[in-house]
Amino acid sequence: MRETMLELQDVCAGYGEKKVLQGVSASIGQGEFVALIGSNGAGKSTLLKCVSGLLPLTGGRMEVCGRDNRGLKNRERARLVAVVPQSYSVDYAFTVEDIVAMGRYAYQSFGKKESREDAQAIRKAMEVTNTLEFRKRLYNQLSGGERQRVVLARALAQSPRILLLDEPTSALDIHHQTEVMELITRLNQEEGLTVLAVLHDVNMASRYCGRMILLRDGQVAADGEPAAIVTKKNMEALYQMKLLIRENPLFHKPEMVPIRVLRGERAERPLRIHVICGGDGAGRILEELDDRGHQLTAGVVNQGSTDCEICRYLGIPHVEIPPFTPVTPEAQKENLAMMADADVILTADMPFGVNNLANLDGLEQVKGILFFHKNALSGDYTGGKLVQRLQELGEKKKIVYFGDHDEFLERLREWAVGRKEKSDADRNAAGG
Amino acid sequence: MVLAIAGCLLLVYLCTVLGAASISLGEVNRILLHEIFHLPVSLEGIPSGSIAIIRDVRLPRVILGFLTGASLAVCGASYQGIFQNPMADPYILGISSGAALGAALGIVLHFSGGFAGLSGTTFLAFAGALLTVFLVYAISRAGRRVPISSLLLSGIAVNQSLSAFLSLMMLFNQQSMDQILFWTMGSLNGKGWNQILIILPYAAVGIFLLLTSARELDIMLMGEETAVQLGVQVERVKKKVMVVSSIVTAAVVSATGIIGFVGLLVPHVVRLFTGPRHRVLMPVSLVFGGTFLILCDTVARSAITQEIPVGIITAACGGPFFLYLLRKSRRGGEGR
Repeated sequence: MRETMLELQDVCAGYGEKKVLQGVSASIGQGEFVALIGSNGAGKSTLLKCVSGLLPLTGGRMEVCGRDNRGLKNRERARLVAVVPQSYSVDYAFTVEDIVAMGRYAYQSFGKKESREDAQAIRKAMEVTNTLEFRKRLYNQLSGGERQRVVLARALAQSPRILLLDEPTSALDIHHQTEVMELITRLNQEEGLTVLAVLHDVNMASRYCGRMILLRDGQVAADGEPAAIVTKKNMEALYQMKLLIRENPLFHKPEMVPIRVLRGERAERPLRIHVICGGDGAGRILEELDDRGHQLTAGVVNQGSTDCEICRYLGIPHVEIPPFTPVTPEAQKENLAMMADADVILTADMPFGVNNLANLDGLEQVKGILFFHKNALSGDYTGGKLVQRLQELGEKKKIVYFGDHDEFLERLREWAVGRKEKSDADRNAAGG
Repeated sequence: MVLAIAGCLLLVYLCTVLGAASISLGEVNRILLHEIFHLPVSLEGIPSGSIAIIRDVRLPRVILGFLTGASLAVCGASYQGIFQNPMADPYILGISSGAALGAALGIVLHFSGGFAGLSGTTFLAFAGALLTVFLVYAISRAGRRVPISSLLLSGIAVNQSLSAFLSLMMLFNQQSMDQILFWTMGSLNGKGWNQILIILPYAAVGIFLLLTSARELDIMLMGEETAVQLGVQVERVKKKVMVVSSIVTAAVVSATGIIGFVGLLVPHVVRLFTGPRHRVLMPVSLVFGGTFLILCDTVARSAITQEIPVGIITAACGGPFFLYLLRKSRRGGEGR
């Protein structure tokens, strides 16, 4: 059982009349790296302020390293807890060394010179953060990433047991974001430093932190490993948008892919569309058609292909076969059954080979109009069989060829308008 | 640093030598050695008037000038630290107008009830200054905290209203107008050992206390929240600096009148050379502030036959000098 570093019991706090934290409970052990996530105003930064002693609790209890936070003097707390804020500039010309040395304040008193321990702590903090080389430079002449490393060094000079970070990378570019997160991870792993970080980037939190706490309306909505927190349900509630969750193949951590907030134009009359796909080229059109409210089906897709994954994320009914296996007559039968009531059959951008040419078998029987992506012709690995098949098919059925995504949407719109006019005319004729 | 102090001492000496009544260098030396250091130097052949001028007029005036300038500069540096505002000076909480109003009251009422060696005017100025700071402080207090922004704003507001009262008082007492106006411009004229004795204890203790807060003041420049997180008792430091600086400033102002610009300017000029660290900034400001005021006062009493209030000289010399330094440092690409 590891030592508890931070114990929160029903913590309540706020600014004047405004209540922000409404009963937050959590227990953070030594050596944990915990991310605090949540929407703006959920109370993430407020919680950090409570821990660092800036904001008094209005209710509940908070223990830092086993001691009641209320009873701690600023000086005592500064030896246990250090804070790295978002970023800040200093109007005065302090050198990097001056700033880092300020971290030792809690260990010093008037009249005493800097002790050897102070000097060592300062030097080590600068070594770890790679700031030693510019220790004589002025803080306000550094770049954003360098500044953040200096502030981190100052926090480390406090020799804290808990490190609090408030969106430490929000002002940085990707390179420096990653650098800062890697530094913090190293400190967490090698020095056993307990870290509590407010992070706005869920994927970064998921990648680096062993545990995530999701705050909603001043309460803990979820608390656990990234895989338990970064779920479609939690993230959609958090961000109020369409997104998908997948496992990042490199880090084996859940990853969120934001898709859209504003919905596209809704189709006036939703169509039944079946998409023949199975490579990695149909994702965008599947998502867009789905978003416009069309009813989709798809097939036959090989497991492990991108198109297959997308169908799963979006919940599109589809026919699935194991990877690298040919389309069997059974599978194609299922595929045709799905096509039976489709208004439109779309053959998306996909490479055809002998294994999947069967996707086009039996299409003569279905009523829907066939749209065919021309790229499939250039990616033809069937030795001419595809062209032959299309010629046969074309004699019995109308095929609309198109060149790209936008052209397809345009053709589809034209076709839908034409169909509507035709049906209106038919109705008029029947009525007259 | 050592060089600077030596230079300042030399200046102090030179300013003692210079003056309207011409007394020879040798004579000044002999008087100084005899009267101050009690060395067996013969004063034969020196007119007793000269001895009196040096001992009772010029020397105390130089010392008073140094004390005043030093106090104002150190208080200014401290205020700029806790307010995290480069525009802060020792008068920012309304001390100057409070003291002026008190002094004006004393002048108008011909208040003569001396108190513990203080003249009535001095006493009223001191009381007025402290009352004003207390008022500003009370107005801007929110619970146990004293937010900087409301302090600055109420300081300005109180300053303005008290100035209005002062104008009104001058309007109704036109016979005292010259005297009041002269007081508000600040002068070391006619001040001597008495004033030094009033200021010295406050200045010595106060400046010492402010110097002990150097480390906290550095950290306060990082912002109050960061200061708390680094372990500083921010509210306590603010209170300490405010109370101490106010008392020192009030003592100085009540003795010499309102000498402007020293407290605002000197810390800035010094910062350009030493950087912002208070451990260096405050002692250097002390020396430089004292010397600067002596220099200005020497100009004030020697430039023309009539005395010019030293406040006018400090503003007239200090402003352009500071602007020059500021432009130069900007061009050099250095921060403040």
